[in-house]
Parts: sequence; C-alpha cells; structure tokens
Amino acid sequence: MPVVELSYTRLQKLVGKVSKKQISDSLPFLGLDIESEDKDLVRIEYSPNRPDYSTDFGIALGLQGLLGIKTGTVKLNIKKSNKFPIFVKSGVSKIRPFVAGIVAKNGKIDDKTIKQLMTMQEDLHFGIGRKRKKSSIGIHDLDKISFPLVYTTTNRNHKFIPLNSEQEIPISEILVNTDVGKDYGSLLGQSPHVPIIFDKNQNTVSFPPIINAAITTVTTKTKNLFVEVTGINKDDAEDMLAVVATILQTAGFTLESVKISGMKNSTPKLEQKKISVNSSLINQILGLNLNPTKIISSLKKSRLDAFSKGANIVCTIPAYRFDIFGPMDLVEEVALGYGIQNLEPILSPSQTIGKTNPVSLQLKSLDQTMIGLGYLEALNSSLTSKRVLYDMVNRDSSKIISVLDSKSQEHTILRDSILPGLIENLSRNIHESYPQKMFETGTVFTLEDPISEKINCSGISAHKDANFTEIKSVIQSALKIGFGIQIETKTTTNPTFEEGHCASIIFNNVPIGIIGKINSKIIENYKIRVPVVGFEISLSESILKNQN
Amino acid sequence: MSQVFHEIEKKIITSLRDNPKQTPESLEKSTQLLPDQIRRGIEWLRLKELAIVTESQSSVISLGKNGLESLQKGLPERRLLELLKTGPKKLSDLQKELGFVFGPSMGLARKNNWVEASSDQISIKNPPSELPGEKTLKLVGNEKISKDKLDDADLSGLLKRPDFIIEDVIKSKEISLSDSAKSMELSDTTGEIDVEAKVPEVFVARTHPLKDTIDEIREIFVTLGFSEIFGNMTQSSFWNFDALFTPQDHPARELQDTFYLDKINAKKIGTSEQIKKVSESHKKNWRYQWDINEAKKMVLRTHTTCVTIKHLAENKPDEARIFSLGRVFRNEKVSYKHLVEFNQIEGVVIGKDASLRNLMGIQREFYKRIGITKIKFWPTFFPYTEPSLQTMVYNEKLGKWIELFGMGIFRPEVTKPLGITKPVLAWGGGIERIAMLKYDLDDVREFYNNNLGWLRSATKCQ
Repeated sequence: MPVVELSYTRLQKLVGKVSKKQISDSLPFLGLDIESEDKDLVRIEYSPNRPDYSTDFGIALGLQGLLGIKTGTVKLNIKKSNKFPIFVKSGVSKIRPFVAGIVAKNGKIDDKTIKQLMTMQEDLHFGIGRKRKKSSIGIHDLDKISFPLVYTTTNRNHKFIPLNSEQEIPISEILVNTDVGKDYGSLLGQSPHVPIIFDKNQNTVSFPPIINAAITTVTTKTKNLFVEVTGINKDDAEDMLAVVATILQTAGFTLESVKISGMKNSTPKLEQKKISVNSSLINQILGLNLNPTKIISSLKKSRLDAFSKGANIVCTIPAYRFDIFGPMDLVEEVALGYGIQNLEPILSPSQTIGKTNPVSLQLKSLDQTMIGLGYLEALNSSLTSKRVLYDMVNRDSSKIISVLDSKSQEHTILRDSILPGLIENLSRNIHESYPQKMFETGTVFTLEDPISEKINCSGISAHKDANFTEIKSVIQSALKIGFGIQIETKTTTNPTFEEGHCASIIFNNVPIGIIGKINSKIIENYKIRVPVVGFEISLSESILKNQN
Repeated sequence: MSQVFHEIEKKIITSLRDNPKQTPESLEKSTQLLPDQIRRGIEWLRLKELAIVTESQSSVISLGKNGLESLQKGLPERRLLELLKTGPKKLSDLQKELGFVFGPSMGLARKNNWVEASSDQISIKNPPSELPGEKTLKLVGNEKISKDKLDDADLSGLLKRPDFIIEDVIKSKEISLSDSAKSMELSDTTGEIDVEAKVPEVFVARTHPLKDTIDEIREIFVTLGFSEIFGNMTQSSFWNFDALFTPQDHPARELQDTFYLDKINAKKIGTSEQIKKVSESHKKNWRYQWDINEAKKMVLRTHTTCVTIKHLAENKPDEARIFSLGRVFRNEKVSYKHLVEFNQIEGVVIGKDASLRNLMGIQREFYKRIGITKIKFWPTFFPYTEPSLQTMVYNEKLGKWIELFGMGIFRPEVTKPLGITKPVLAWGGGIERIAMLKYDLDDVREFYNNNLGWLRSATKCQ
C-alpha cells in the first residue's frame, strides 16, 4: 500500500477549524491507516483505489467532508482557452498514442507543495499508471514553454538537457545511463523512434514516459504550471489528469484547458458523471433504514452531490473518482459518510446448520490416535527446498514442482512427501532429550495434469533403541484404531531407508506407503546420533471417506 | 523433613558412608545392584541434593603398534647401541642389520652424543644406562595406565613418535554424599516413598499449538452455522484473481508477490460462460485486453477466497454459510512477521439477512469467543469487495490497535459474471496472527520451526 507523509499543521490550515486530534481520529474513517507519527509529521497508508489521497490536498478534501466543514462534489472550474494547443502526429500512434493536458495558473508553490506533488506523481505512476506503462505525468513550468506544442516522435540520437542534468544527452544514452531510463526504457520497445513533446521553437519539453526537460523544472519561483499526461489509453490518461487537476485546483491554482487535436486525440473534458442507486439497495446492504435526506447528506460528506428521484438517489461523480464503478460503490460512500463507527453490529440467528468437513473430522481423530501413541504433532511448510526434500534423503528429484522467483532459498519447491521435513526437524533438535517422536499430516503435491493434491501422514521416532518393529506397531495400531484398517508390510528397497529394514505398507493388496529405518548415512549427514525409524502413508486414496 | 528412601538409595548411601568417594562401577560391586539401578539411584539422590556427582575426564595411555614392538625388541636406538656394544661397526652393516629404523635411531643417537662417527666407522660413546622412554615403555607394558601415573617428561618423547602411544580420554563419575546425607537417618520401614521429592520432567505428546488455534476457530464458525469446504492450494490465476475482479496488470499479480508454478498452466479454468462473462467485466471496467493465457497460469493460492467463490459459482445457493480454511502463499521475504505460507480462514454468508451490520455482528461474536472484546471497524479497500471493512482489535500488551480480519460484500463485478444474484458477505484473515497473540509469540516463524523445546513447553489453554 502506498504511503504519504503529511504535516498536521499544514493539514489543519487546509481543512479549516479542526484540532490535531479531530484529524487523527477521523483519518481511519476515510480508510487511511496511520502508519507512524512523529510530533507534527504523520505517515499515512492509503488504498491504491484512491489516488486523490496521495497528497495532503486530497486528504484535506476528504476530511472536510467527513467533519462537515465542506461537503458535496468538488467541481473543476476549467476556463476554456485556445492559447495552449497540442498537435498530435501519427508517429506516436503505435507507441504511446494519447496525450492529455491542462494549465494551472497563479498558484503558490513552496517546498512542501513541491514535495507533495512529486510523491503524488510517483504514486500515480506506480499505481494507476502501472509503473508508467498505462499512463505517466509530466509537470512543467508553463512560462518556459512556447505554444503550440507537438506530440510526435524523434529518433534515439536526439539530444536535450534532461531534468537534473546540465548538459545535452542523446536519448540513447538517457535510456542506458539514468535510473529512470533503465527502469522504464523497456516500455518503448525496440522501435528506433520514441515519443517526444516539442514546443514552438523545437525545444524539447518532455520525453514521455521517461523524463522531462531540465528547462521546464518546477521550483518555488514557478507560478504557472503545464501538466501533460501521456498513455496507451485515452480514458486512463484523462483519469490521471483529473486527479492532478483536482489537486492543483485545491492547492489554489486556476485551471485553463489545453486544446488537443490529431490522431484521435481531443481536449479532455474531465466531466462529472451521474450514477443512480436504489435507496432500498443501500438500506438492505448496510442493514439500515435511512431516509433519502439522510442518504444524501451522507453522500455529501463523502464529497458527492446527490438528489432523490423516486426510489432512486442520483449521484454526481467527479472525474477524479473513477474508482466508482456503479451503485454498490455508492453504497460504500453512504456508509463512509454515515460513519462506520455509527454502524452497530447485529447478530441475527443463523438459518443454516454448521458442519465440519468430514475430512477434517477424520484427520482430527487420526491426530488424536497418533498423540495417544506418544507422537508430538509437527507442522512444516508445503513449500520447501530441494536440499531438504530430495538431496539430503537421496530421493529422485525428476518430478519436481518449482515456483518462480521465490524470495526465500528455503521455499522454492512444493513437497511431494512429508517425511524428509520431519527428518530435517530432528536435525534441529539434537540437543533436546530423547526419545523424540513426531508426526505430521498435510497436503503433498504430485506433478500430474492437473497437479494432484493428496493428504499424507508421516511419523518418525528417534532414540537409541528405535527399530522397525516399534514403528510398524505404531502405524498398525494407528490405522486399526483410527480407521479399522489392517495393514501388511512387504519387503522393499528405498534410498531413504536402510536396506533390509524397509517395507511397503500394503492395504487391500495396494501399496499405500513406506516404512522402515532411515538410512544411517542420512542420519549421519544430519548429525543425528541415534537411530531413526519412520513411515509415510497416503490417506486420500483409500483411507479417508466422504471426501468432497 | 522426614526422608523416605528406596532400597536402592539406602544401599548406595550405606556404601558411600563406608567408602566416601566411589565410581558407579565400584558402587555396583559394593551394593550388588544392577548398573541401571545404580544409575537411577544416583539420579534420585542427586535430585534430592543428597549425592554429589562430579564428572571428570582422565587420559589413559596404552602402547601403539611401534610401542609394542619396542617393548619386545627394545627401542630402535637401544637396538643400535646393543649392536655397537661389541665394538665399532661399519655404517653399511648397521643399515643392513637395523633396516628402516636405522635412520631414526642413528639420528637420535648422534644428536644425544651416544655414538660417534669417524670415516665410515660408528662407535659407542657415552649412552645413559636407561634411555628416554624406556621407563614409560616398561611401566605401560601391555596394560592401560592412567596418564597421571607416568613421568610426563619421559612420556613426551614417545608421544611425538608415530604409533608409539595411544591416548584415550575417559569420562568418569565420582559419587560422594552431601553433608546432610552423611548423618541422615535411614528409615527401616519399607514401602514408603518420598512423596515430596522432585521428579524428572516428562514430555506430553500433543497437537501443535497452531493446530489448536485452527481447530478452535473452525469450531467457532461451525457453531455459528458455517459449513467447511475444501479446495486446492494450486489454483489457476482465473479463480485466484480474474474471478475476483483483480485486473491482469494489478501489482498483486506480479511474480514478486505471488508464487507462480514453473512451466505449469491450467488446461481447463472454467465454463466458457464463466470465462466469457468474467473477461467482459474486466474489459468493460478496467479497459484492457484480457488475456486467457494469463488466466491459465497456475499459482499457489494467495487467499482461500478462490475456493469459496468457485463453490458459489458452481452451486449458486440462495441461502448459505460456508467457510474454507487452509494454507495460503505469498512471495515474501521470511521474517519475524512474515511467512511465505500461512493459514487463512475465509467465509461467506448468502441469505436474506445478509447486510454489512450482520457481517460485523458475526465478526464481533467470533472475537468474543476467542476472548477479544475490544474491537472496532475501519473502512478499507479490497479489489473484490465493496463496501470493505477491517477489524481492529486492541492488544493490551502492545498497547495499540492491530488489524485482524478483513471483510466486505462481494462486488457485483465479481458475482454477476458468475451468475450469483444475491449479495454475498465475505470475511477472512490470517490465523497465525491470532495464534501469536494467544501464545504471546513475537516471531511467527516459531510455528513452523518444530523446535521441541517450545512444542514441549507451550501451555495448551491460554
């Protein structure tokens, strides 16, 4: 989840007459988790579906609503203008076909505002921009740019001075030598041409989605801004622009439109939309009985305008609230405006009778039987390592099931057997007193199509007198008492076990498992100093009943 | 305190009063008890602080292959001197007589000035009557002798020579009586035992503490009217993500968060109707080209929600309370608070009473039954529920609110394409977090370490 850092005093100024405590008490009820606080600074985790909460300006809008200071929809006031045209050329169509933009004038930008805008930009890039793939933003000093602009392509030898640099660098070098170039260059593919925005004088303004030109850098002296959003989908680019426009207007800028034309591009409208929701749906889902007036006032607290029309509530959704898909999203907005803390939990009697899964019941009774036989229950991960599952116990690893890119060396493959994990567990307990007896039941995976998931049970006993007879007695009794099953053992060989001390476990003439004395070389490699005996049986195939 | 002694203890005490420092072996002889009885008796007395057991190590010396040969034939240098007794000898003759010990014996004899050489004639000069090492050889002979009884200086030369000396380290115990035991009355009444004595610890076999928590939680939901369903841990991306309205380019679907199975894809992921409707919902709402190959990629389920949604899509009940409980996976770096694999419970309610307040009521009741009464609800976000809430519970020990189960109502974008028409309440969360609170653990890895020290000592009812 993205995190934003705010100052309480700045937030108090933005929200209006509120105390620090009112703010910190209200934040969770906007869906914002306070991650940490340090005097005036507070770090807040927000949900990726609310990119407007990526700055204190956006959070202030939410707080004003919830605290009843200012409610209803935030309307964008965009002055129509012909002074800022962008022409789109055909070259971009195959690479990054759409551009959207807006001009924001007469704002005050201090260091803190720049910081907020930069983190907003990063969060938007990462979240709804999908790491700049879907859409990306450039924010520029308007007064350094001469319109009209052209959104076109250029070749990779083109040079300009990029942000945070003092000299001209060819694009091919920007892509190799800068962090942003390395991180996002792949979005441009192998094409010899890359997207570029030039101004009237052929000066580079931006090289989307990688980097802006240094000349348009925004500083505390900047008064007027030009914002461009480029992307692979027009609606997504405009959604992102709507967030930035709303934040800039809230920060005190006045907005003017940027006229865009060419190659299916057009001036973004950033219009509100209307969605209706039936009041009875709201009341049914929330378990409340609210009248339309209360519903409307709740929606207003969530910064949405609404009016009632028959049984419906018609709601006005500003462009930056593209997380609202339909009526159910409005139900949530009502709940938030009403206040989650005001929803009293109710417990109505169940209309159904609960039932434990029969497999769970049978496994539980097997657990109890094993415990009665003196075995302690162990739990190991299903994701384990080749070393534990195969190498240390001499098993054949040709049917390995691996996961991709695990961050942990010990968790790279799915287990097809439980016993190897138990043997490894013994090796970590050699300083504990003996006898050591453990068992585990759990899922094992076999490489078939589709992958088979079966439940196995394995047990292990380690002490100075551990022997085959002992472990056979245990599994024999466990299955007889647990499931009324009589088993036999037939001589076999298995690399995990000592030759001449190893057998297949047979039930109804079908092998269901293996039992024996663990190979002394394995025990030695694990530095275990007592003999070890063990078994593993498959429960799924013939023992468990009533599986679903 | 009146002390009652077992016959074994009495015999050991009596013997130690006669002969105050003994080994277990000497006690065996003096008491006529079996080795195991002696072992137990000493342990009982030690626990009662009546016997003092001092363990010591000592070295025992015996002769190796070359040592034994020298015992028989004399040290190589002795053999050289013997040959020279009858007068000077030629170097080559000596070499012939002594064979391969000639070199070392000559070296030693010349270094110590026992012989002198002129041209190729060797003659005896001034040897001591007893050469270094001879005393030790004689003393050890064919026996094993404690190292303390030997002359260190005389032994040291032999120790340096290959295969002359074998040194074994032997651990031994010496038993003596504590002061109180020396004068204690030994009751003659037999059959009584010391019921106040300390006893050794025994370890119970038991279910795993985490399993106890899992069973407790299962039980609570069953009594609240929920039925348990099972499902696979390996799932297609379709059921784990697509059916739950998580777009294919969502960060949660990346390799760095989710475990994908290497080179394994699902053949059949759902009915053609389900696939068509789900993909349409994605295209319409998330505006991208939905790719069936992406949906076929197999993952280790990141939540048990995929099991319940599949069950609902297949059964479409009008009224139901079901839950699914089991392992889920996240590609995380393992740490004291993160595991790659943990247990999750996830349940759903469909029915005419299904409302958010109802869902909150079920949660409150659940927490009450596991002993948590201070709870509150905060709004949150999940891709597949709307509205969405999370439970915050107050942890007295940490002095702060911590997040437990999440909940919400399945989005129509989830239910509609699968033909589910009624609202579905859903909730779920990790079980290890609750078990950590219960067992007062700071490190979640302890649940899967299978450390006997902890498993044998963790209290069952907390």
